[in-house]
Amino acid sequence: MADDTEVLVLGGGSTGCGIARDLAMRGLEVTLVERENLTDGTTGRMHGLLHSGGRYAVSDQASATECIEENEILREIAGHCVELTGGLFVQRPEDSDKYFREKLEGCRECDIPARVLSGREARAVEPYLANDVKRAIEVPDGAVDPFRLCVANALDAEQHGARVETHAEVIDLLRDGDDIYGVEVRHESGPGKRTHEAAGTTEEITAEYVVNATGAWAGQIGEMANLDIEVRPSKGVMTIMNVRQVDTVINRCKPKGDADIIVPHETTAILGTTDEEVADPDDYPEERWEVDQMIDTLSELVPILEEARTIRSFWGVRPLYEPPGTGTQDPTDITRDFFLLDHDDRDGVSGMSSIVGGKFTTYRAMAEEISDHVCEKLGVSASCATADEPLPGSENIETLEAGMDDFGLRSPVARRSKQRLGSRASDVLGTDDANPVICQCEGVTRAEVQDAISQSGSDLNAVRIRTRASMGNCQGGFCCANMANELHPEYDEPTVRAALDELFQERWKGERHALWGEQLSQAMLNYALHATTMNRDRDPANAAESESLDYAAFDGGRPAPERRADGRGDP
Amino acid sequence: MSDAEQPTDDHVPGAEDDEFEPVQVFPEAESMDLRPGADNCYKCSTCDTNCPVAEVDDEFPGPKFQGPEQWRLKRQGDHDIDDSVMKCSNCMRCDSACPSEVPLSQMHNTARGEYVEENMDKFSREYIRNRILANYRRLAPLGAAFPRTANFVMGLSVTKWLGEKTLGITSERDLPEFATETFRAWWTKRGGNATSKKRAREARAKRGDAKVENPDKRIAYFHGCYSNYNTPEVAKALVRVYEHFGYEIMVPEQSCSGTPMFANGMLDDARRAAETNVRELGAAIEDGADIVASCSSCSMSLRQEYPELFDFENTKNVAENTWDAIEYLRVHEDLEGELEGTSVKGEDFAYHAPCHSRNQGLDGQTIEVVDAIDGIDAHDVGDSCSGISGTYGWKAENYETSMKIGEEMFEHMEDADAETGLTECPTCSMQMGHGTGYEIKHTLEVLEAALVGADRDADRRKRQEAG
Ligand SMILES: Cc1cc2nc3c(=O)[nH]c(=O)nc-3n(C[C@H](O)[C@H](O)[C@H](O)COP(=O)(O)OP(=O)(O)OC[C@H]3O[C@@H](n4cnc5c(N)ncnc54)[C@H](O)[C@@H]3O)c2cc1C
Ligand code: SF4
Ligand code: SF4
Repeated sequence: MADDTEVLVLGGGSTGCGIARDLAMRGLEVTLVERENLTDGTTGRMHGLLHSGGRYAVSDQASATECIEENEILREIAGHCVELTGGLFVQRPEDSDKYFREKLEGCRECDIPARVLSGREARAVEPYLANDVKRAIEVPDGAVDPFRLCVANALDAEQHGARVETHAEVIDLLRDGDDIYGVEVRHESGPGKRTHEAAGTTEEITAEYVVNATGAWAGQIGEMANLDIEVRPSKGVMTIMNVRQVDTVINRCKPKGDADIIVPHETTAILGTTDEEVADPDDYPEERWEVDQMIDTLSELVPILEEARTIRSFWGVRPLYEPPGTGTQDPTDITRDFFLLDHDDRDGVSGMSSIVGGKFTTYRAMAEEISDHVCEKLGVSASCATADEPLPGSENIETLEAGMDDFGLRSPVARRSKQRLGSRASDVLGTDDANPVICQCEGVTRAEVQDAISQSGSDLNAVRIRTRASMGNCQGGFCCANMANELHPEYDEPTVRAALDELFQERWKGERHALWGEQLSQAMLNYALHATTMNRDRDPANAAESESLDYAAFDGGRPAPERRADGRGDP
Repeated sequence: MSDAEQPTDDHVPGAEDDEFEPVQVFPEAESMDLRPGADNCYKCSTCDTNCPVAEVDDEFPGPKFQGPEQWRLKRQGDHDIDDSVMKCSNCMRCDSACPSEVPLSQMHNTARGEYVEENMDKFSREYIRNRILANYRRLAPLGAAFPRTANFVMGLSVTKWLGEKTLGITSERDLPEFATETFRAWWTKRGGNATSKKRAREARAKRGDAKVENPDKRIAYFHGCYSNYNTPEVAKALVRVYEHFGYEIMVPEQSCSGTPMFANGMLDDARRAAETNVRELGAAIEDGADIVASCSSCSMSLRQEYPELFDFENTKNVAENTWDAIEYLRVHEDLEGELEGTSVKGEDFAYHAPCHSRNQGLDGQTIEVVDAIDGIDAHDVGDSCSGISGTYGWKAENYETSMKIGEEMFEHMEDADAETGLTECPTCSMQMGHGTGYEIKHTLEVLEAALVGADRDADRRKRQEAG
C-alpha cells in the first residue's frame, strides 16, 4: 500500500513548521499535523527575542555563534516578522565589572558586533532606563513575532505542496513491530480548514518517515509507541505591558537570573522570564507572585514599569532535554541546545526521529539539520534553500518600505498594517471595498481580518495570531464581536457565536493575571459593555435547556443604511 | 502630572555651557514620548462623544484615535503623524471629558508639533498661513501703529479675497479691528505701576481695609494679545475692577500665551514665547504678585499647557500661581457680597462659557456673579462649543465646520431673551458676533459697570450733595 505522504511532521510550532517548509522546498511530499492552532505550544508563548547570541556569549559560545548567524539570516528571509531593535546589556552599579568584561570579550569572540555605551549614552538611547545605570553593551538583538513567522513557514510549505492540518491531534502512533509507519489523528471538526461545530473525525495517516517535533509534548508522543523521551518541561512567565516603555531589547548584564529581559514587541513590551521545572506541560500553576516578581525586578532597570499598565501575563514551557544520565539539578543549567533523537539508533525502532530542545532563533538551522537527516534516511539528495529564499511577505521588503501607498488608511494604521503584511500588503490592503478598522488598539482593518479568515476558517484565534487583532489594551473587549461579525455570512450564527466565545475565553485567560489598576478598569468596562449590549452575562441563546431563541419575535429594526464607499458608518 | 512625565537627566550635553539657559530636558518638545499616557485609556470613547469637531465632521477620527490610540501605535523614530490632527481645534473638551486622566490635549499638541515639523512643507501656503495666524501678535503691533489704515485695508473686500486666495484665510469673517490706542500705551500714559500703586492705596483707605500698606494685594496682569491690540476696554475694566478692590497692578513684559501656536503645531514659536512669559511672570511672583489673566485661553495655557509641554525653570511655579481674573476675586474677595445691591441699567446678556473656561472648571462663574447684580441677567446658552477655537475657524477649510459647530450656540443665543452676548474668550466673542450680529461683552466689563460705575455714581452724588 502506498503511503499517504513521504514525511509526516508532528507539531505546528516553529520547529515543525520550519521542517515542513524545508522538506517541501526540497520537493518532498509533506504533511504536518498540529493538535490546536499553529504556535499553540511553546512557540506562541515565548519572549519574542531574536537572540544576537549575546546572552550566551559567556556560558555557551557554540549557541551564541549559531544565534548570530541565524539572526542575520532571519533579517533577510523574514524581514516582515523581525524588528531590528538592537539590544543593550545593562550594568547596574551593584553588578559585577568582571562579568561585564567577560560578556564583552565573549561577544567579540563569537563575532557578535558589540559596543560599550556609558550610562548617559545608554539613557540617550532609552530614556526610561534608571538614572544610576552604569554602562551597557550594545548588541544586534531584535524582536521577532513568532506567530507570523511560524504561519509564514506553514504558508510557504503549503505553497510548495504540503498539507497542513491544524486541530488534528495525534492520538496514536501506528507501529508495526519495530517500525513506525504513521499516526492516527483526531480532526476536531473534520479535515481541512476549521469550522466550529462541524463533526469530529479520525484519520490514519501513513508515512515513510515521521518527525516528532512536539517539543515539550514529545515524551507524550513517545509513550504512544513505548519510547522513552526524557523531556524536562520548564515553565517561564512573561508579562505584557500596555505600551513600549523601551524600543530596544534591555538585558540585565548578570550571569543568570530570573526577570532579566524586556523585549519591545509590536505595540507592547514583554517582561520575562523565569525557569522552573514542571511535571505536566499542560497543567502547572500560574501564580501572581511570579508576575509581581517580574515587575519588581525589572523595575530596577526601568523604574517606570513599577507604575505602568500590564495587560496580561502568560506562561510557556521550554522543551528542555538532557541525554540520560546527565542529572542536572537546576533547569537554568540545562543546555539550550537541541537534540535529534533517531529512534532507530537509540531504541531500535525505525521510521521516526524526535527533536527536542533548542531555541526559536535557531529554528531554521535546526530544521535544516533535521531535514538533512530525513533526506538521508529516505535516500533523497536535495539541498536546503531556506537560508536564501525569503518567506511569503518578506520578498522585496526594501521596495515596500520605500512605497508611499497607504491604501487610504490613517498613517499609523497604514504603517503598522504594512509592517505586519510585508510584501503581501498591496494584495491584502489594496481593496476597493470599504475597509474600516476592526481592531482599533492594534490598527487592524477588515481587509486584513478577511485575509486571515481565508487562511484559517472560522477560528478567530488563528485570525488573532495572524493580525494581532484583539491583542491591544482592551484585550478584545471592543473588537472580538466585530471580528466575529466578519465571519458572517460565510458562517452561520452558531458557528460565529462559538468562535466568538472561544476567542474571548482565550483573551480572558491572560488578562485575568493583570487585574489591578487600569486593566481592572478595562476588564470591568468590558464586562459591563458585553453584559449590557450583548447579554453576555446571561445570554438566553446559551441556556442549555432553552428551545432555540424566537428571533421572529423581534422586529426587524431600522432598515440598514447603504454602505458608504469609505467604510464609515460600518460597525 | 501624568504618567507621561519624562525622566530627567541632569547631564544633558550642552546644558552646562550656559548657566542662564534654562535646563531643557528634551531638546525638542516634538521628541516627547507620550506613549505611557496611553496606559490610562480604557477606550470608553467618552472623549469622542464630547468632541465638537467629531460631531459635525465625519472625516475627523476623534480624540481617542488622535490621542491614546495614535500614540500607542507609535515607535521611537516613527514620525508620520496622521494629518487629521490639524482638524482638531484644540478646544480641550476631550481633556475634561475623559474619566481616566488621559493627557489628551498634551498628546494632540505634541503630535501636532511633530506633524508640522516632519510632514508639513515649510513653503506651503498652509504652513505660511498657519504661521501668520499663530503669530498674530507679531503683526498686531503694525496694525496697532497704524490702526485706521490697518482696519481700512483689512476690511477691504479685495484684501479679504486675497487672504483667502493666497493664504486660505476665510473671507467670510471680518478681521478683528485694531483699537486706536493699545492697552499698554494707555497704561504707560496713565503712569504705569506707580499710578496703580497709588490708586490701590487710596482704594484700600477708602474701603477701610485693615492694612493700607498691603504688599499682598498685588497682581501681575497677563493681558494677552487680544485685549492689548483689539479690546483694550476689557483690559482697562480689569485694571479698574482690581483697583476698586485695592489691588496694585503690575503689567510685566509679555509675549503671546502660545495658545494659537499650540493649535497650529508651531511648537518652536510657542517655546520662545513661553520662555519670555515664564521668565517675566516668574520674576513678578518673586516680587510678591499673583498672575491674573482676563482671557480664558491665556490662563489655560499658562496653567496646563506650559507644564505639559515645557520645562523651563519656574514653569510649574507660574502655572500654580496663575488665576482667571474673576476666579481670583471670588476666592480672595467677597465678590458676590460686593456686588449685592449694585445695579446696572441695560439689557440682559446671552452668556457662552468658553471651552477653555469649562476646562478650568469656571463655566458657572459668570452666571453666578452677574446674578448678584440688580437690573441685568445673564442667560446661559448651554454647553456647546462656539466652534471658532482661536485660529481654527479662520482657516478657509475649517470655516464650514466651525460654523456648523457654532450653530447650536447661535440658535440658543437667538432664543435667549437678550440682544447682547457675554463671554470671557476673545475668539468665542468674534464667533458669537459673527453668527448673530450681536455686540459681545466681557464679564469684566459688566463688573466694571457694576462696581466702578457705582463708585463713580457715588462720587458724583457726593459732589452734588457737597455742591
Ligand atoms: C518562557 C520561554 C521564553 C522563551 N523565549 C525565547 C526567546 O526569547 N527567543 C528564542 O529564540 N527562544 C525562546 N524560547 C524557546 C522557544 O520558544 C522554543 O524553543 C521554541 O518555540 C520551541 O518550538 P517547538 O516547535 O519545538 O515547540 P512547540 O512550539 O511547543 O511546538 C510543539 C507543538 O506540538 C503540538 N502538539 C503537542 N502534542 C501534540 C499531539 N498529540 N498531536 C499534535 N500536536 C501536538 C503542540 O500543540 C505544539 O504546538 C523561550 C521558551 C520559553 C518557554
Ligand atoms: S481638543 Fe477639542 S477638537 Fe480637539 S480632539 Fe479634543 S475635543 Fe476634539
Ligand atoms: S475618554 Fe479617556 S479613557 Fe475614554 S476613550 Fe477617551 S481617552 Fe480613553
